[in-house]
Amino acid sequence: MMIEDVFEPLFLSMGFIRAILERTFMQRALMTGVLIGFLAPLIGSFVVIKRLSMIADTLSHFTLAGLSIGLFFINILALPIGDPLYIGMIFAVTGALLIEALRNYYQNYKEISMPIVISLGTALSALFISLSGGFTSTVYNYLFGSILTVSQQFIYIITATTIIVIVLIAVFYKKIVIVSFDESYARLLGINVNVFQFFTTIILGLVIALAIETVGVLLVSSLMIIPVAAAMKVGRSFKNTLLIAILFSEASVLLGLWLSYVVGIPSGATIVLFNISILLLVVIIKKLFSIQQTLKKDSSENEKTKPI
Amino acid sequence: MRIKVDNLSFGYDYRTVLKNISFTLESGEFLVLVGNNGSGKSTLVKCLLGINRVPSNRIYIDDIEIHQYRQWINIGYVPQKFDDFNYEFPITVNEILTVSRLSKIDEEARLSLLDKIGILELQNENINSLSGGQLQRVFIARALMNNPKLLILDEPTVGVDSDSISEFYRLINNLNAEGVSIILITHDVKASKANFTKKLRMENGRLTETLDNEVTS
Repeated sequence: MMIEDVFEPLFLSMGFIRAILERTFMQRALMTGVLIGFLAPLIGSFVVIKRLSMIADTLSHFTLAGLSIGLFFINILALPIGDPLYIGMIFAVTGALLIEALRNYYQNYKEISMPIVISLGTALSALFISLSGGFTSTVYNYLFGSILTVSQQFIYIITATTIIVIVLIAVFYKKIVIVSFDESYARLLGINVNVFQFFTTIILGLVIALAIETVGVLLVSSLMIIPVAAAMKVGRSFKNTLLIAILFSEASVLLGLWLSYVVGIPSGATIVLFNISILLLVVIIKKLFSIQQTLKKDSSENEKTKPI
Repeated sequence: MRIKVDNLSFGYDYRTVLKNISFTLESGEFLVLVGNNGSGKSTLVKCLLGINRVPSNRIYIDDIEIHQYRQWINIGYVPQKFDDFNYEFPITVNEILTVSRLSKIDEEARLSLLDKIGILELQNENINSLSGGQLQRVFIARALMNNPKLLILDEPTVGVDSDSISEFYRLINNLNAEGVSIILITHDVKASKANFTKKLRMENGRLTETLDNEVTS
């Protein structure tokens, strides 16, 4: 084995840092990753509390329909709509509102809304992908993410969204938490729950549309849900859990980007695999910790019952 | 807080649950609502809370027709079950109470309330680690966070141990003595140690007994 082989990962890691310092596309990728790594678990936490984890997957599939229609407008009808992402964002918000409407319509079978919207999204996607030229590299990027190719304009959109979300959460923190944890009680306090649902649904749709750029349609829900699932097991309070979820998510994004650069595999996959690894690690450590606690308890009880 | 219910009938779909209910709760009164399961007690409370939409001019809160009433913050409610609350996600007692207080509360008032309810030492505990009795006290504290003039409690002692039940009645009797009007729904008024001033009995959606009680202790 040559000495270069041993130090290859180190050289590649240094190359990763150099690339971030020197290459604009890497800086954009890092910025997008860090912002989505912050936004996704933050919004995801409220989604998990409301037991709506499937909504992220549903909306990402519905957003794909919007992106496919955008491609059809550009490639076939030659309409100057700019980026298909705009149509994707409109679809994400429309899908979110459609889910809300269906949840209200099927009061006792609220989960029915998800398969209806996901089926419609997938059917429209299949139709318009086929009409606009089939399975191209653009479609592949929609499915698995293309963080290395994000535009400067996308950075502006995601920065603005992040600022809006932070301001809204800071201003309406109490009401958002009450509505998420206990909708009936929020109504009793005179909070207009429907207006709140409407705005949070719109924000959820927008964040999902933007997250697709990072990890793609098929993996977007994992970015929102998995860090929260891991943080729930170790968080000591609500704010502490949010913070841990964001830290887990940012760690996955940074490690995922690094591994993707070093090994040359898609970043969406590496980010999500790091997310899953953190979750597994948390579950294993928790399990070991609880076994240790039980053993400690047993031995102290045995100590007490020993005959003198 | 004064509540006036005037000939209220209410039903779900084609089923009439409440029939011609009339009563008045004066400010500072302690009303006990008794009756068997399905007699309409919880439905009546949901009407008073504005959850069930009732016909016009049937309920008045502080002499305001219920549909025009906006100061819901003046009514604290402790539900029968805590099913609507998601208490599996980590959140501390303190965090729940802080978000439930819509305006600012000074630290001294907050600590004194927690002390009064007996949950001062639980304030940094995670909600999912509490017992039934502790959880009940947290939800009473939540209902009191906005200094309500009326506290409505729906079967609050179901599933709570006997020590906690005695402690609970001591607490609500004190609250009533401080001027908070109380509506307590219970199966068994004899078993309760409530210093009530008025008792209403419900059977099949009708009021069958109205009793003004002399407070004994």
